[in-house]
Amino acid sequence: MKFAHLSFVFRRVFQSLRDLVWTHVLTSGTMAMTLFIFGGFLLIQENLHGLLRGWGSQIQIFAYLENSLAQADLQSLLGQIRSYPEVESVRFVAREEAWENFKKTLGAQSGVLEGLPPDVLPSSLEIALKRDYRQRAAVADMAQRLRGVKGISEVEYPEEWIEKLSLLVLGVQWAKWIFGGFLFIATLMIVGSTVKLAILARKDEIEIMQLVGASAGLIRAPFVIEGMIQGIVGACLSLFFLWLCYFFLTTHFPSALGIFPSREQLQFLDIGEISLLISLGWILGAGGSLFSLRRFLKTW
Amino acid sequence: MIQLFRVSKIYPPNYPALTDIHLHVEKGEFVFLSGPSGAGKTTLLKLLFREEEVTEGQIIVNGRNVTRLDGGGVAGMRQEIGLVFQEFKLLPTMSALENVALAAEVVGMSRRESRRRAFHLLRELGLKDKHDARPLTLSGGEQQRVAIARALVNDPILVLADEPTGNLDGDMAEETMKLFLKIHEKGTTIMIATHDAGLLKRFQHRAVLLQRGRLMGDSKPAKGEVEP
Repeated sequence: MKFAHLSFVFRRVFQSLRDLVWTHVLTSGTMAMTLFIFGGFLLIQENLHGLLRGWGSQIQIFAYLENSLAQADLQSLLGQIRSYPEVESVRFVAREEAWENFKKTLGAQSGVLEGLPPDVLPSSLEIALKRDYRQRAAVADMAQRLRGVKGISEVEYPEEWIEKLSLLVLGVQWAKWIFGGFLFIATLMIVGSTVKLAILARKDEIEIMQLVGASAGLIRAPFVIEGMIQGIVGACLSLFFLWLCYFFLTTHFPSALGIFPSREQLQFLDIGEISLLISLGWILGAGGSLFSLRRFLKTW
Repeated sequence: MIQLFRVSKIYPPNYPALTDIHLHVEKGEFVFLSGPSGAGKTTLLKLLFREEEVTEGQIIVNGRNVTRLDGGGVAGMRQEIGLVFQEFKLLPTMSALENVALAAEVVGMSRRESRRRAFHLLRELGLKDKHDARPLTLSGGEQQRVAIARALVNDPILVLADEPTGNLDGDMAEETMKLFLKIHEKGTTIMIATHDAGLLKRFQHRAVLLQRGRLMGDSKPAKGEVEP
């Protein structure tokens, strides 16, 4: 492409942005709205995953120790369990601590424990598993293995709760792909129609350019660049509105989000998702223009 | 300059717009393509600049086989041809000067040179004070002169005009035809499609008569009358 053509293309883009400002605003606005919905979905699913990760981190296996276990055996047992690849951490809870914890749990009703010896509860190990092993099968497998370890009398874990959590994680993952897919297709269709309408309004321009001998590439280039600009502006606008919503929710309704242990756990989109949204806008704008031009650009 | 060999065009489903046309136009000729509405004049012009494709036959324009051109070839051919239409086909968002310069920029001419050429042409065509005007603020005659300036900006070897006076009143039509004659005097081949028999009488040039898609006559400039 000659320099004169390059300069021509960018002047056409500038002229179009200046002369057809409302067409571009409308197209970018529509893109912003559809990408806002898609981005909102990403935001929700990202935080839902965060929430599930938070719940998953609370999964622990309780291994109750035999009363006769000597101190040296305890150290050896701790070392053995810490060496398992699934294990993230092991915490020893002595009988006294277990007794105090139990009393605290009962609160005002702790009086019922009067008369009982403080060493009635066994000492135990609280075993946290690594993230990849916080699933029903892996936890059950680990519990089974611990049951066979010398010095451990009993093993417990919240089996029903882990099962529900695993189902929830699976559901969220499926929902991510199904709803994400639907939203993505809807976004494609809405943006595609908007770009097509914007180009339809300029079909005379395309026809005249062809009649005066402009090559297909020279006609396409300004439309594709305009599409990219519309897409990026639309994506940035959607991100801005998403951030406003996020800011509003985290500053004005922290209590409404009580499902999260702390406010800090509500996350905005990460850099990967922000890049995804901007790239999506960019591709939708450029691709939508190219695709819509096919209908109006005569080819030989 | 233009050669048509056994050219036929059938529009779907089965409407014959042109049937078995043979035509030769020499370089520098001025030819009227005449005939009533629906005779096939516009179709023939469209085949020449490859807006439509032939159903049968071959068309040679300035040594190129138009029927075999690809996208780049069609664009290249159109850069050598000036096109003028009844409905002007000007971009309403551009000034008269920009409309004319557009055709020059498309062939890769610099902006400065394109505007300089457009400015001179508009002045030559009597639109000196109108180069900043948008097409919709101009009269029909002025718009047609802008369109003619656009057709001429790349020094075309051939100008094809489809009913260029169709939307103009008598005086304007006369002025426009005189412009075409002036262009012809410089050696440019001109082909004008018109259904206005009065034009053929006033401007005595070769006239090719089409009727129902068939070539029914071809007059010589000296006689000035259509010979069946």
